[in-house]
Amino acid sequence: MKQPPANALASRNAGTASPLTRKCLSMANYFRQHWVLYAMLIPGLFFLFVYKLLPLWGLQIAFKDYKMFAAETPWKAITESAWVGFKHFRKLFGSSQFAKVLRNTLVINFLKILWLFPIPILCAILLNEIRCRIYQKLCQTMIYVPYFFSWVLIFGIFYSLLGSYGIVNSLISALGGERINFFGDQGVFRSILVFTEGWKEVGYNTVIYLAAITGIDPTLYEAAKMDGANKFQQILNITLPGLLPTIVLMLIMKVGYILTTGFEQVLVFYNPSVYDVADIIETYVYRIGLGQADFSLATALGLFNAVVAFVLIVGANTVSKKTLGRSIW
Amino acid sequence: MPNKILKKRKHKGIALDASEKFVTGLAYVLMTIFALIAILPCLHVVSKAFSKGTYVAQGAVWFWPRGFQLETIRYILFETQFFTALKNTLIVTIVGTFISVVVSISTAYPLSKPSFRGRRPVTLLYVFSMVFFGGIVPAYMVVQMLGILDTYAALILPFAIVQFNMFIVKNYFEGLPETIEESARIDGAGDLRILVSIVCPMSTPVIATVTLLYAINYWNNYFHAMMYTQSTSMKTLQVYLYDLINSGAGFLENLTSGGLTTSSLSSNITAEGLTAAAVTLSIIPIIALYPLVQRFLIKGITIGSVKG
Repeated sequence: MKQPPANALASRNAGTASPLTRKCLSMANYFRQHWVLYAMLIPGLFFLFVYKLLPLWGLQIAFKDYKMFAAETPWKAITESAWVGFKHFRKLFGSSQFAKVLRNTLVINFLKILWLFPIPILCAILLNEIRCRIYQKLCQTMIYVPYFFSWVLIFGIFYSLLGSYGIVNSLISALGGERINFFGDQGVFRSILVFTEGWKEVGYNTVIYLAAITGIDPTLYEAAKMDGANKFQQILNITLPGLLPTIVLMLIMKVGYILTTGFEQVLVFYNPSVYDVADIIETYVYRIGLGQADFSLATALGLFNAVVAFVLIVGANTVSKKTLGRSIW
Repeated sequence: MPNKILKKRKHKGIALDASEKFVTGLAYVLMTIFALIAILPCLHVVSKAFSKGTYVAQGAVWFWPRGFQLETIRYILFETQFFTALKNTLIVTIVGTFISVVVSISTAYPLSKPSFRGRRPVTLLYVFSMVFFGGIVPAYMVVQMLGILDTYAALILPFAIVQFNMFIVKNYFEGLPETIEESARIDGAGDLRILVSIVCPMSTPVIATVTLLYAINYWNNYFHAMMYTQSTSMKTLQVYLYDLINSGAGFLENLTSGGLTTSSLSSNITAEGLTAAAVTLSIIPIIALYPLVQRFLIKGITIGSVKG
């Protein structure tokens, strides 16, 4: 620790005191010198405590029978309600609903990874091969646009496209097929989720991979050309290995966040006729919690989700640190 | 180009020339297809917004307006709550982004200093709150307890700090050269002064990026806006849009039953057309700002992802 010159006297005086006192004194000095830095933390910590940590206090209702009117305010009722142990968890794990929403969450997110994960890698490699700069930029710009749209907006766009008056159904009926009720059909609904997810996210992920490709040493390609490697061999032996750390990182993150992604998308897109295939953990939490006012049960499920997600994310980060030396935070 | 030499030296497999042509060709074809997939749905909905009601109702509009009209757009603009919703979203986005950016910078700066005492526990607190999310219900209860339901505060304060964005700023600050700060310190500048007049001007790319990330976050926020507000006058653009899409047909029925006769309502006003018009009007601000925004976000992705 570098001591600022103004503290020289104080630290010399402290030299005769015990190590602990000395530590306290130098801490006090540091604080006096840099109190502005501590003051800067206050607004952020305020928001953190009130809106991110205070809710954790409310988690206790997962172990209680929460009665909103047990006290003057719903918040005070949290402490007033009676403890019931793992009652809500037992009820939850025993219900078929729980199995269903857990399966839906995993299946939907697994399908998204399976279908969508390779596409941005392919896009980045191909975009990089487009020699005409203007056309390359144009394509990149266009596939990147939907990333900025909200899920509601995307719902609006696809509702218009796939609805009864949309071109897809016009096309189907023109070809002599049966019109499809896309948003009400359990067979196609998950495909809509996967497709729209790709529609929104592919451009963004492409940009990430494209940035990684630009970081590959161009002399590698020169050398490979000299050795007579064709384009496929170059992609296979230079580009892909160069992208590998990014690919692994992205995959680890995708798996880490498998329980917590896709909430707003499903909430906006789904409707009661597709609950069986589309209802995920968080949409279910929302419906039983704020819809049916079963706060305790919803919080129990939310807590379960939070704990498993926490383990997955921290696990993902550990894997990423071990294999790639990169941490998300 | 040493093409001739290469041709002589190539051994087996596909020749460089042929493979290059193939990959380039594939790149042009596939990327054009992808670009079209991204853009055509938008074009379709915009076309519907400007097409004659009869064509819209027949499903006969593709990627260009048929029988151009502006009545549907005019209707959305002046006969619905569109401007109220736009105003709410603008207020939330502008005020919220300002608060968020200031708070993020002011938090990131102390945490970026290696010598800052208390850096580790505070950073850990942010990391923990980022990976452990208490859930929807407790978050709602806090907002309810604070008595800010159905106000702008409920749409801003809970999202004032996004830990991930704060970490982007912090990582960027950590990469700045120490020497400039040191010399300013010797000249007698305090911590605040150094942050405002030295560190911030050096960090415009990351500040621009984070500003945009926050702005998008506020602008696109649907779920919380829906959950934390009830009154019609507090609807944000996303809530307004969702309600309109989901009640397209019913919306029109209400109109006709509420004193307006079907004949007084133009034949151009269809449920489909209204949805399309509202979607179109919501796309326009994004597309208008897009060229400006895209540059920073591409930079930001690189800043955010190149963390050692």
